[in-house]
Amino acid sequence: MTLSLPPLLIGLAFGVVLQRSGLSRYDRIANLYRFRDLAVLKVLGSALVTAALVLQVMHAAHLGVAPPIPSTFAWGNMLGGVVFGVGMALSGFCPGTVAAGAGEGRLDYVVPGLAGLFTGAVVYGLLYDRVMPILARAAHAGTLPELFHIDPWLAVVLFAEIALLGFYALDHRPRESVQP
Amino acid sequence: MALPARLFDHVRRPDWSPYLGGVVLGLVVAVSMGLFGHRLSGAGAYQHLSGLIGKELAPRSMYWMHVVPTGFTWDVQVVIGAIAGAFVSSRLAGTFRWRTMPDSGWSEVFGKSVALRWAIAFFGSMLTEIGGGLAGGCTASLAVSGGAVLAPAAFIFMMGMFAGGIPTLALVTRARSR
Repeated sequence: MTLSLPPLLIGLAFGVVLQRSGLSRYDRIANLYRFRDLAVLKVLGSALVTAALVLQVMHAAHLGVAPPIPSTFAWGNMLGGVVFGVGMALSGFCPGTVAAGAGEGRLDYVVPGLAGLFTGAVVYGLLYDRVMPILARAAHAGTLPELFHIDPWLAVVLFAEIALLGFYALDHRPRESVQP
Repeated sequence: MALPARLFDHVRRPDWSPYLGGVVLGLVVAVSMGLFGHRLSGAGAYQHLSGLIGKELAPRSMYWMHVVPTGFTWDVQVVIGAIAGAFVSSRLAGTFRWRTMPDSGWSEVFGKSVALRWAIAFFGSMLTEIGGGLAGGCTASLAVSGGAVLAPAAFIFMMGMFAGGIPTLALVTRARSR
């Protein structure tokens, strides 16, 4: 197979963002789970809202292609999320930030990080035939607006407003009060 | 200062505001999903590479025969791009440096042993990839890409991440600081 420009450029931008936002730092990820550093939450939240708005505009203007919708299978999404969260809190990695950390010279990302991801993928592949037919049995590919029969514009705008309010509250929270 | 100049000033800083990072990441996700039909994925690449060993270990596995594409896929190229992007970005910022341990936050709790850091890094990294498989995506490909199209899976996954991560870190931190 050959190299192609779009995925390489998309990856390039992905790497720059992760590196400059400090998401390839152990302390930043660990402190997310201690609620001491909410930068990760702010990056993810604003990325989610930006992408949702742009995709909705593109959809309304009949631009581009239909974006892929990840399937929802609640028990699998939840169980997978828990396992993912345990691994992320221990290592300070998520799969994307391992690439970014590797690029800025972090050898704990280059060696055990990449090896762990590859091993995990093989382990998951070996489990797949037995586990996923059960876990993903009731999978469906709907979105929240479809599920609740609301207008997608309303959902996206509401979502953006909630996120902006959340960011405002996070950035203007009162200083830590004295513990009794 | 005019807005473009001020924005450029922010972009040149070695540490970005999380909101600048988030907006740029959101645009990258929108381009990937809306123009090319691919979720932005960190975990996918390793699934696509896993066949290299997996096909030898389990030649009749449905997974490597029919479920995941193998080889030099879109996701693999995204990860190669991400390594290159972080390299260029850290060189430009002057923060590129070969190092074996996290800069801060680790030694205070777990001590200075590189072997312990690498062992936990390997184990944790493996768990993220297994969890990402079970959930149907990682932080980038499920939480952000899925959240952007308001897929319920994304929000269930994020709840799971915190439900797993918060008690884990609290328990190990307490155990190590005794």
